Amino acid sequence: MPNITLSGIAKSYGGGDYAVKNLDLTVPDGAFMCLLGPSGCGKTTTLRMIAGLEQPTGGTIAVGDRVLDSVEQGLYVPPEKRGMGLVFQNYALWPHLSVRENVEFGLRMRKVPAPERRAKAELALQMVHVDAAMDRYPSQLSGGQQQRVALARMLAINPTVLLLDEPLSNLDARLRLEMRAELKRIHEESKATIVFVTHDQLEALTMATDVAVMNEGELQQLAPPMEMYARPANRFVAEFVGSPPMAIVEIGSTPTGLAGSLMRFVESRAGQDIAPAAVGIRPEALRLGSPPHSVWSEEATVEAVLPAGSSWTVRLRVLDTELYALSYTPVEAAAGEVLTCWTDQVHLFGADGMRIPAWDRTGVGA
Amino acid sequence: MALLTKAETPPPPPRRRRLVYRLRVLRHDPTAALGLILVILLAYLVVAPLIAVLSDAFRLQYGDDVHAGQQPGEWTGYYLWRVFRSQISGLLFWEPLLNTLVIAVGTTLFALFLGGGMAWLVTRTNVPGRKWLAGALVVPYMLPSWTFSLAWLSLFKNERAAGQVGFLQAQGIRTPDWLAYGAVPIIITLGLHYYPFVLLLVGNALRRIDAQLEDSARILGAPQRTVIRRIVVPLMLPALSSAVLLVVGRVLGTFGTPYVLGLPADYRVLSTGLFQSIRDRSTGVASVLATVIVIIGVLIVLVDTRMMREHRRFVTVGGKGAMDRLGDLRRWRWPAFALGVVVFVVSVLVPVLTLLVSTVTRTPLDLSTFTLDYWFAEKLPGAVGFPHGVFRGSELWEAAWNSLRIVGLASLICAVAGLLVGYVVVRGTAPRVAAFLRQVSFLPYLIPGIAFAAASLSLFAVARGPIPALYGTTFLLILVMAVTHLPYSSRSGIAAMMQLGREPEEAAQIAGASWWQRMRRIIFPIQKGALVTGIVLPFISGLKELSIVIMLTTTGTQLLTTLSIGLVDYGYTQLANAVVLMIALVSFTMTYLTQRLTKSSLASGLGG
Ligand SMILES: Nc1ncnc2c1ncn2[C@@H]1O[C@H](COP(=O)(O)OP(=O)(O)OP(=O)(O)O)[C@@H](O)[C@H]1O
Ligand SMILES: [Mg+2]
Repeated sequence: MPNITLSGIAKSYGGGDYAVKNLDLTVPDGAFMCLLGPSGCGKTTTLRMIAGLEQPTGGTIAVGDRVLDSVEQGLYVPPEKRGMGLVFQNYALWPHLSVRENVEFGLRMRKVPAPERRAKAELALQMVHVDAAMDRYPSQLSGGQQQRVALARMLAINPTVLLLDEPLSNLDARLRLEMRAELKRIHEESKATIVFVTHDQLEALTMATDVAVMNEGELQQLAPPMEMYARPANRFVAEFVGSPPMAIVEIGSTPTGLAGSLMRFVESRAGQDIAPAAVGIRPEALRLGSPPHSVWSEEATVEAVLPAGSSWTVRLRVLDTELYALSYTPVEAAAGEVLTCWTDQVHLFGADGMRIPAWDRTGVGA
Repeated sequence: MALLTKAETPPPPPRRRRLVYRLRVLRHDPTAALGLILVILLAYLVVAPLIAVLSDAFRLQYGDDVHAGQQPGEWTGYYLWRVFRSQISGLLFWEPLLNTLVIAVGTTLFALFLGGGMAWLVTRTNVPGRKWLAGALVVPYMLPSWTFSLAWLSLFKNERAAGQVGFLQAQGIRTPDWLAYGAVPIIITLGLHYYPFVLLLVGNALRRIDAQLEDSARILGAPQRTVIRRIVVPLMLPALSSAVLLVVGRVLGTFGTPYVLGLPADYRVLSTGLFQSIRDRSTGVASVLATVIVIIGVLIVLVDTRMMREHRRFVTVGGKGAMDRLGDLRRWRWPAFALGVVVFVVSVLVPVLTLLVSTVTRTPLDLSTFTLDYWFAEKLPGAVGFPHGVFRGSELWEAAWNSLRIVGLASLICAVAGLLVGYVVVRGTAPRVAAFLRQVSFLPYLIPGIAFAAASLSLFAVARGPIPALYGTTFLLILVMAVTHLPYSSRSGIAAMMQLGREPEEAAQIAGASWWQRMRRIIFPIQKGALVTGIVLPFISGLKELSIVIMLTTTGTQLLTTLSIGLVDYGYTQLANAVVLMIALVSFTMTYLTQRLTKSSLASGLGG
């Protein structure tokens, strides 16, 4: 199966603004890659360029050694010849065709004989559980059903590259869980290369083999999900991935309060060579209770406890700063109570916003 | 972990490389070629005629070289002089201009009062039968505009013009010329045709005014009359001014009524003057007149859009059911209803019944001379050009077939072209092409049909380059008709394609469908509904069309409309009326059915 390479891809819709800037991205063979990022960061644009619906302003896109787009070499393969599958953000079902005809369309274009076509369409629809609505028209389906028909339409042609633009955004929690599992199964069975756009980070972390975080048309980090979570490459990724988000404490020129307290801890560990501009603490790394030896600890006033079934979020005031702690054991503290909070995992970022790798080698970063 | 340093915006690849890539992309995307073809076609069919007519106005035509003392083909101000300053310029231009103005102002006032009053009645009051009145009062707009003038002649015609005299004259009451022909009857009959136009525009605006605006004024202590004067009328101004300008524009280009009611008394307006110049083969003068009409038409629409833009600043569109509350007429409810019925009777029943009865009586409207001869007789004594009932002989059927064929084909072309324009605009691969198509396809809207037909004649009457002379061919007729209706179809085509968006086509593309397959299996089937309305609306208005076809048909290709005008020329009143009734019947039925079936409102197809 193919790997997809984007090198030096830029896209401008005219005017000076770039929707995608100088993107280098390799989707490894058989990967399940999630493109993650805030709204408007260029995810859909990237996907559409891979599909051939949008043409890059510069750069090269290739699948395996087949060059699909190359502005520099003047090469272009039109979408209908790329043989990819794409699920649109807004489904784009054909309103004048029944569900069955929608799913059969791609097979018809490939001149698959009628009986086989029927069988394949039915199979695809069964996979997404809308085979009961086979003879209805898209307008007679719910949003979630339409989304699944769009999935089935793509799956029916059995493409080796699947591009999905937020294909689960309209499903209820249960169906979404089920469809995630289904997609993962499809991925394992077909060995297809999947590029999956989402701005739901949980989705990205649970499903992907690789996650690419984008912001303002630029790739921020490309890594397996757990690594991305454990070692965010820069402040943007650190704040974007994780919920509740990582707290970032700015270290001024003369740090006082919480910043000062954290700086003393950092210096006690690594000496003066490391000069971070900001320190990040993930809520679940912030523990409550008596601290073990040689960690950072500080007194904290409980401001609110927000239970959520299996986890407890606690809003704390630590010196001059508000922090959130996430606990998976019950927290029975009242507002105003003073506790000790501690952590041995902090993330350091330099003045350029980048992670400071030297700190990780001290073994205190994640 | 792959960490990338912050990317710089890359330097774009060199121009030449980008061009090569772009061409490669375009080769796979027929939209570009399609856009180019449309651009060329529109430039040729819309822009070129206007240039041709302009150049004809300033170039000496064959046959005028002796008078002008210049060589044919030379640049000349001769025609300008002739039209604006010579001894006959009064006859050629100033008098028709004045008459046109009188009629435009008169018709507009008439339509404004009648239409505005009726709009207020059906939208703002609790007059009984509101719904019915609202529908019934629009009917006059579904009839060909000169239906009313024929009915008028059947009632008031005197012996001055050839043919049967009217009802009054037959009763021994001599109708004065000012009542039979000229400004008065033209204003009344045109007003009766155009008031529904005002009714629709003003009615829509009235319905959208937020009742809270009135309430707050009333709460602040303003009496009812002040509220209307200070609040309602100013808010209505955009709709009113728009209605005024559009009616003026229509009157400027209308041909049938001033022809039927004006010419017997030598009462000329710009449109009939233009027609006569063309008939007299004075191409130069005709070109100047056409240019003047084009300029006035363009000015009107420009002023309209400018005013609309100015007014939009304070347009308040009503929130929830703004106009649910209706003024209570109390004891005036039934009188008001009677007024509405009277307007309906006068503007629909009287003309239609007059025409109908006139076709079954030898002496106008005298039922004791009842006869079906004018419809069915094998032979009509005394008649030369058309010696039998309308249903006998081949003339009516041939004209009907021609109308059906020509108008049908024009509408089909128009609808498909409109959709394709929409397609290219929405695909948006080339913004400049899209902008050109948008604007040029809208251009004919600015130009009264009769002037546009004259312009087309300028271009196509003689062979130019590889294109042979097209004058008198049905082909030219179809083209011009399609082009004049293009503004409506391209607008609705753009709207329909906008609504659809690009994704359905792109989904098909991803699924492996070629461009042709996408068109055939996705785009056109989805747009079936838009396509049908895109055909039907131009068809209805084309069936009633006279001012364009009168310039372009020859005796070989009669349409229903030109047949009826021809019969008027002969003085065969009953036969002419019968033919017009047929047109009215067809166009009314089709409009009614279309509205019923597609739920489209007439207001959106105000092209007529
Ligand atoms: N056809 C277009 N013309 C001009 N600008 C566009 C066009 N499509 C997208 N953009 C711009 O490009 C940028 C990236 O858009 P894109 O659709 O790729 O975002 P996205 O990451 O998919 O966002 P979302 O999560 O909201 O779907 C945005 O700033 C958007 O406004
Ligand atoms: Mg998107």
